[in-house]
Amino acid sequence: MSDAAGAGDVRARNNVKVTGRGTQPMLFAHGFGCDQHMWRFVAPAFEPDYRVVTFDYVGASDSNRGAYDAERYATLDGYAQDVLDVCAALDLHDVVFVAHSVSGMVGVLAANREPARFAQLVMLGPSARYVNDTASGYVGGFEQEELRGLLDMMERNYIGWANFLAPVVMKNGERPELGTELEASFCSTDPVIARQFAEATFFADNRADVHSVSVPSLIVQSADDAIAPQSVGEYLRDAMPHSTYRLLDVTGHCPHMSHPEQTIAAIRDYLGAARPSGADD
Amino acid sequence: MTAADNPLRPPALATADALLEDAPCGFVVFADDGTVRHANATLLSMLGRAREAVVGRHFDSVLTVGSRIFYQTHLFPLLRLHGRADEIFLALRAADGEEVGALLNAVRRERDGVWATECVLMHVRERPKFEDALLRAKKEAEGARAEAEKRRDELLAANELLRAQAIRLELSTEQLSRQAEELEMQAEELQVLNDTLTEHAEELERQRKVAEEATRAKGDFLAAMSHELRTPLNAIGGYVQLLEMGIHGPLAPAQLEALEKVTRSQRHLLRLINEVLNLARIEARGVEYELRPVRLKDVVAAVLPMIEPQAAARRLSLTVDVPASLCAMADPPKAEQVLLNLLSNAVKFTPPGGHLRVVGSEDPGSHDRVQLIVEDTGLGIPADRLAQVFEPFVQVDVSPAGRSEGSGLGLAISRDLARGMGGNLTATSTPGIGSRFCLELPVARNA
Repeated sequence: MSDAAGAGDVRARNNVKVTGRGTQPMLFAHGFGCDQHMWRFVAPAFEPDYRVVTFDYVGASDSNRGAYDAERYATLDGYAQDVLDVCAALDLHDVVFVAHSVSGMVGVLAANREPARFAQLVMLGPSARYVNDTASGYVGGFEQEELRGLLDMMERNYIGWANFLAPVVMKNGERPELGTELEASFCSTDPVIARQFAEATFFADNRADVHSVSVPSLIVQSADDAIAPQSVGEYLRDAMPHSTYRLLDVTGHCPHMSHPEQTIAAIRDYLGAARPSGADD
Repeated sequence: MTAADNPLRPPALATADALLEDAPCGFVVFADDGTVRHANATLLSMLGRAREAVVGRHFDSVLTVGSRIFYQTHLFPLLRLHGRADEIFLALRAADGEEVGALLNAVRRERDGVWATECVLMHVRERPKFEDALLRAKKEAEGARAEAEKRRDELLAANELLRAQAIRLELSTEQLSRQAEELEMQAEELQVLNDTLTEHAEELERQRKVAEEATRAKGDFLAAMSHELRTPLNAIGGYVQLLEMGIHGPLAPAQLEALEKVTRSQRHLLRLINEVLNLARIEARGVEYELRPVRLKDVVAAVLPMIEPQAAARRLSLTVDVPASLCAMADPPKAEQVLLNLLSNAVKFTPPGGHLRVVGSEDPGSHDRVQLIVEDTGLGIPADRLAQVFEPFVQVDVSPAGRSEGSGLGLAISRDLARGMGGNLTATSTPGIGSRFCLELPVARNA
């Protein structure tokens, strides 16, 4: 993506948004089921010191869904390529990659392919594998059959009530505390794409990839997370070289939305001394 | 739970919650961290759980694993960012392990200074069944369509292959005949080359057999493929009919109209395939003929009621002149099929106000045969195109409006049927005056 047209294509394709007054890029990657809006309680806190970049994976919300290629996005490698495409299009280096959920492993794949691009990986609720593996004694938290149940339910929600978001926009006027920037496309995904993303996410096994990460990383683990139990966070802590493990005493899989202050503090603590020299304070 | 034992909730909210206690739907309130603050009796009975098994515990604990993930990845972000969620299907887990389907509407708001989510859960029993059936039908229809497309591609590929083979065979036939000529010339001078010549003749015969075999294989293949194509097409028709009957819920007029278009296309395709199938069967020698003496007049009488309404609709007059004494050795349904085809064509290609005539007679050229002739005052067929009308898939373009609907197989099938009964089908025509099709059949002396 070195040519200007290619860079513009990627910006539009992945609905890239750039804010912030710093020089070092902080690239925020959303997880399965949502889009870049999920960062709005956390990302603004880093705008004074960083160049904040958010984006949607191809297939999510306002990305260009015409660019979706079932073969490319059949595995997380396709999503890692999205990350690298965005880095190349914006010529990002020394990137702090902040990832929620499945994006943690997307970041691992991207960092293994182009380690020079990344300064640190910050992963919220990551998991190297969701399915239990009795043969090796690995506890991912789920049985294959239980995850099939998720796919069935997604199908019903996407097809039976494809418009389940529609009334929300109309009613925003009554709820000024929610802000006005909300968009109709929030968290909406094509049902076929959503299903494939779910399969790519929940049936992935990235245990072999995490051992070889050379980029330093922070693993943020919720004390009570129904999707990424403590055992998977501890597995990553032990498997990933140069990793720092931070257990937050919170409940839920989305600490950046449920407990943004604690999440911001954990990221700040970790980045600590490595703050960019160009920062104002 | 009353207001008194929950100091966090002022009486007004507690009263409101209490009003919902026996509402006809489940009602639950949980904090941002998922802890259930309140659940009404209806929800508890839906779940078969005691109040203390729900209140104070995480909302997760009443969800199936799939719903738990959906809650964390979709529902929670939705509530946190949008403040509400509408009509989301969740599978709840009852105390006895049974799944309970529920439709959720939720609002996240401040209650007594604490953010909490209030959910109304409608128990849905029948709807998921219809949706499952709909999803299944959709998947099956998609599968059937993909299968039909695959079969069609295979057929096209096979056809291409056969065509290539035919060209190769034609080329080698030409080559061989050239060699044969050379050999004949040389034979006059060189008697010794006779043996070689014989060998080449044998080779020629072998090639001919190969070519015949290839044609037969093509017929077999067409017959098998056409049959295979009909199965998914019938499935498409069946499921569309189910949808039209409203089995899977009422349909909007636009959906009905779309389904009707699907049906029309499906029937058209089925008719084309049936004709291909017929031809293929005949070519594959798969048709059996039961020949018996039959009066030509009876053949005509069986067909006329089917053709008269069409002729009347086009304002065509129709006369029949078939002596009762004329008898043929024929398979009656097949003779009727041929006659029906000839008359259908005559109706189709004769302009309004024209005239059709069916005539029976002894064959003037042979005492062993009788004839059944269909004449029209239609557009006629140019002499140079007359032979082609009996070729499969050919429609000679005579109507100003261009091609007529159909596969162009009717006359090819008809002639094959006539020959199968020991007869023949021939045509003569004068453009602008009309056409004359003659079905010849072996004579039967005693009917």
